[in-house]
Amino acid sequence: MSTMVKTPNKEGYFGEYGGSFLPPDLQPVMDEITKTYNEIRNSPGFQEELTALYQDYVGRPSPIFYAKNLSKKMGGAQIYLKREDLNHTGAHKINHCLGEVLLAKKMGKKKVIAETGAGQHGVALATAAALLGLECDIYMGEVDIAKEHPNVIRMKILGAKVVPVKSGLKTLKEAVDEAFGAYVQDPVTQFYAIGSVVGPHPFPMMVRDFQTIVGIEAKEQFSKSPGGLPDNLVACVGGGSNALGLFTAFMDDESVKMYGAEPSGKSFKKGEHAATMTLGKPGIIHGFKCYLLQDDEGNPDPVYSVASGLDYPGVGPEHSYLKDIERVEYTTVNDKEAIDAFFELSREEGIIPALESAHAVAYALKLAAELPKDKTILMNLSGRGDKDIDFIAEKYGEEYGIL
Amino acid sequence: MKNRLMCHLIANYPDFNKSFEIAEALARGGADSIEVQFPFSDPSADGPYILKACDIALKNGFTVDKGFDLVRRIVNITKLDVFIMSYANIPYTRGLESFVKESASIGIRGLIIPDLTLNNDEGLIELGEKYTIPIIPVITLTTPQERIDAILSIQPEYVYAVLRKGITGESTEITNENITFLKNLSQEGVKVLGGFGINSREQVNSLAPYLFTSVAGTVFVKEIEKETGDMINRIEVLTASLVTDQSTTTSKGGDFSSSINICR
Ligand SMILES: Cc1ncc(COP(=O)(O)O)c(C=O)c1O
Repeated sequence: MSTMVKTPNKEGYFGEYGGSFLPPDLQPVMDEITKTYNEIRNSPGFQEELTALYQDYVGRPSPIFYAKNLSKKMGGAQIYLKREDLNHTGAHKINHCLGEVLLAKKMGKKKVIAETGAGQHGVALATAAALLGLECDIYMGEVDIAKEHPNVIRMKILGAKVVPVKSGLKTLKEAVDEAFGAYVQDPVTQFYAIGSVVGPHPFPMMVRDFQTIVGIEAKEQFSKSPGGLPDNLVACVGGGSNALGLFTAFMDDESVKMYGAEPSGKSFKKGEHAATMTLGKPGIIHGFKCYLLQDDEGNPDPVYSVASGLDYPGVGPEHSYLKDIERVEYTTVNDKEAIDAFFELSREEGIIPALESAHAVAYALKLAAELPKDKTILMNLSGRGDKDIDFIAEKYGEEYGIL
Repeated sequence: MKNRLMCHLIANYPDFNKSFEIAEALARGGADSIEVQFPFSDPSADGPYILKACDIALKNGFTVDKGFDLVRRIVNITKLDVFIMSYANIPYTRGLESFVKESASIGIRGLIIPDLTLNNDEGLIELGEKYTIPIIPVITLTTPQERIDAILSIQPEYVYAVLRKGITGESTEITNENITFLKNLSQEGVKVLGGFGINSREQVNSLAPYLFTSVAGTVFVKEIEKETGDMINRIEVLTASLVTDQSTTTSKGGDFSSSINICR
């Protein structure tokens, strides 16, 4: 962890983005989290504990797999997958959940709470809470509860309480609103373990730091290959945690191009996508400043994606900054392309990806086709698709010959 | 002497004309000032009642232009002191300077943006000075003393004191902790607006000695929601009941925690 700790500044700004825009009773609590995190982030005890859990509990390091069949089929660049789908609980989310719950425990908190979209963050948090002996409440929109049923059951088996959110579109944004409301009620015994690189300072920095292990490992693993460094990195972007997890360790390697794939859903019409960086403009939501899909009056737009973990009207402040300085290129992948890629990866490589990750797969395939054979693409396969199979069968079963 | 009361209303709730009629009813009932909230879809300090009301106001076509029109009418017709409250993204999207300038030109008494705070204010405090309009910092029971000192050192004309932890809409018990907190603040020579969860005459009475004005909000939203009788008239009656003469009830001495919780 050397080069990437340049941002944010002391107040939590990445360029003009980030910061902390909170009702005043939460600010002292946030300041305390920042203070404790800064004290322990580099303390040997904390790092050792986390590293041991990464290794023995999560199963890190996760391998890099060369997707030979797909690469051959595309006929262009060589595609490599960083297998975060093989982690315990099936996604990258466990990396930051263990960090957050360890921190919460050190701070003497009794309960961790969070929002969840696809249920991956919820499952990972419930898992970490069970392991480390904290209570856990997960706020989840009713639409997502119906769609991600297996994850809801998993959370409950793990002993967490799943609180259904009935307001608005009943998806991720409303889940954040309600988790926030519950947090404000009692920020002293509870710890809000935010599920991505979003929210007020220090969360965008802290969640990123806990995820950087992905890129650190990948860099080391890739260094043994002929080129030493990958030419391109690809990840899907909801809030942006798995993307920053992969990108951060390569930030100073100028030869490495980085791509973030956002969901363009059904179309670019308002309410039918969540292409925040492509169509949003700077705004303030949930305590931080970022690119935001919003109307002319400053109210967030309704958002949609086939992937429950990607339909958020905002995005991490560091991504907003990386877009402005053009270090990362943000592109879009629609539902159809993501579903195609979901089946492509399943049938060519025998790996069923999460619908979120399928957005990264779709973009990696597109990019591979455009590039020569001697180029490499390393993409973050952020999660596995077990949670999505019922939904896929129901919605796309006929079209793809399952039913 | 009647108690000073600032009543909160949500612009465009339940619709534009009704929100103006509510303002008139508040004035007739004896309110001293009105806090007009410009609705935002994700209000981080508000509870379910205000959240729902804001959603309705937005669905019914609230725009910042309409909000300013409403406030202009309230200022001109009721002659009361009017404050605008909203969340950061509403003025930010309008352009902070344009928002502050327009607010000042209408002649409101101050702006309350709870999530734009000292050192995270996006330049709001400076704009307040530029257009000579008070920017009203929010202080809570959990605000550390250092922070209170920093806020007071910029010499705000008003501070907004939040008397309970958490979001709006739940009942507030007026405890000795509240009173000490308010006593300390009011000794600083700043006008203290105090609210969150105030819903009875008893509460207003027990707080009045330490406040420039009490603030009541959710209690009105709940009243508007009820579907019985003439809503405008009910609002006027409720306002009058909150504002009544201080001498009509006897002080309970130091033990304020015994005052009742009506809001359930
Ligand atoms: C597997 C997977 N990938 C990606 C995401 C999107 O989050 P982020 O952009 O923070 O990585 C989620 C969110 O639920 C997820 O479950």
